[in-house]
Amino acid sequence: MSLLMLEDVAAGYGDTDVVTGVNLQVGDREIVAVAGTNGAGKSTVVKAVMGLTPRLSGSVVFDGHELTRIPIEKRVSLGLSYVPQVQNTFAALTVLENLQVVERVANRSQRIKDMFDLFPALADRRRTAAGDLSGGERQQLAFARALMSSPRLSVLDEPSAALSPALTAQVFEQVRRCPEAGAAVLIVEQRARQAIEFSNRGYVMDSGRIVLTDTSANLLSNDRMAQLYLGQH
Amino acid sequence: MIWVDLANATINGIVIGLLLALPALAVTLVFGIARFPNAATGDFMTFGAYTVVAAKSLLALPLAIGVAMACALTALLSLFFYWWVFRALVRRSPVASLIVSIGIALVVRSTITFFAGQSQYTIEVPLVRAWNFDGVRIVPTDLYIAGVAVTALVLTFCLLHLTPLGRRMRAVADNMELARASGINVGRVMITLFAIVGFYCGLGGVLIGIKAVVLPELGWELLLLLFAAVILGGIGSPLGAIIGMLVFSVSQEIASLWVGASYKIVFAFFLLLGVLLLRPQGILGKVRAVR
Ligand SMILES: Nc1ncnc2c1ncn2[C@@H]1O[C@H](COP(=O)(O)OP(=O)(O)O)[C@@H](O)[C@H]1O
Ligand SMILES: [Mg+2]
Repeated sequence: MSLLMLEDVAAGYGDTDVVTGVNLQVGDREIVAVAGTNGAGKSTVVKAVMGLTPRLSGSVVFDGHELTRIPIEKRVSLGLSYVPQVQNTFAALTVLENLQVVERVANRSQRIKDMFDLFPALADRRRTAAGDLSGGERQQLAFARALMSSPRLSVLDEPSAALSPALTAQVFEQVRRCPEAGAAVLIVEQRARQAIEFSNRGYVMDSGRIVLTDTSANLLSNDRMAQLYLGQH
Repeated sequence: MIWVDLANATINGIVIGLLLALPALAVTLVFGIARFPNAATGDFMTFGAYTVVAAKSLLALPLAIGVAMACALTALLSLFFYWWVFRALVRRSPVASLIVSIGIALVVRSTITFFAGQSQYTIEVPLVRAWNFDGVRIVPTDLYIAGVAVTALVLTFCLLHLTPLGRRMRAVADNMELARASGINVGRVMITLFAIVGFYCGLGGVLIGIKAVVLPELGWELLLLLFAAVILGGIGSPLGAIIGMLVFSVSQEIASLWVGASYKIVFAFFLLLGVLLLRPQGILGKVRAVR
């Protein structure tokens, strides 16, 4: 059985559903990418997994637990972590506080040390407010905050947004290493082709629906789909 | 002579500013964390002041115990209304909570009037002679009041910046969704918030009751000033609320050397408009770009 399983999920904000009929799985230690144009509903799907959409129907099962019945803050202890697309750090808190504030972390001080080893740039700026970090440092902090709880699944919404190619490569390298550390990854990416290259499988969304799903190798070799949805980078 | 008057007005302004900084801090904390302007703040102060009056006159308790009771009961009152109404309004527009808080203010005030009537009360403290330095007068009672207020304010900053609870409160203020996704129990944060806020309103109400007189409109009439001080200091900034309140009350006391009591508040609002013209975000407010 998959670690995360979405069955016939519909989710949205006001009176209507923005995404419908979503079926999606993430296996243990698997990296799964979600691609699609702007506004396709990718962020809405990952928010639905975290319980952050006002409207939600269908079933979201994580590690055997029906998530829709579990308060958001308890999902962390089940092994779920999340990096939102925007406002993904606590701007008014320092780098160190951003890591300390994560709840349900066993051996917190050791874990913070691990994070500073993993992201040395952050160690030098531990007393800086997250709002004053550069774009690259902030994305690293967002990622580090999500890894604090040693998650079994990290849900990342465009972790490379607004980063230079060099910094993007760095972030992707960290994502690629997650499975070794025991974490599966569900990643939404603008740089879809790059993301699918290091993923096991991918989903392509359009207008609130999943229009295509396959292994990464097949997605990349499907020329027409690649042209249509994955762009050149 | 003018310097002596100015010095006395400044001292008086600082004392009043420090004690009113407690409810101003309450306003800014609720605004920052629970995201609505709590119009019941003033009447929670009134409730605190009347609790001391009742404790002294009905139960003949000593002042210190009365003050402790006032802080505790106002904290409970604040918690009660959070649990009963504000909790359910968390996901609604802040306007809903604002309107409800105005209603709560009214209910608290009418209940007080029902039991205590319209008459004035005083909270008697042992009379001590003022120290006189060539006309500059310092009343020891004022020093106690200022000391209590400063202690409470310092403790708040320690709480906010040095404890895990304070860190969680600031995280919720900063980004509620991310806070929940980081495992923070927002409901629990709100409970401590409303308890602390009630405590401050109670304490501030008692202190202003000692400095002035206790009447049913005590807190309600201060509410506009509290909101204005919070805006002046920068909405959501705890230090800003304190600075805003100090600036306001010192300038009011100085203005009252020349203009009548009813005009000094007008003066304070001119000051607010002037500052906002130069710094729309308030003295310590931050303009945060929406990314
Ligand atoms: N908070 C929101 N409230 C209302 N509508 C929203 C909200 N967020 C996104 N939407 C709408 O949902 C649709 C899908 O958005 P989103 O899931 O963010 O797409 P993507 O992440 O693929 O770019 C868009 O049409 C967008 O306008
Ligand atoms: Mg998005």
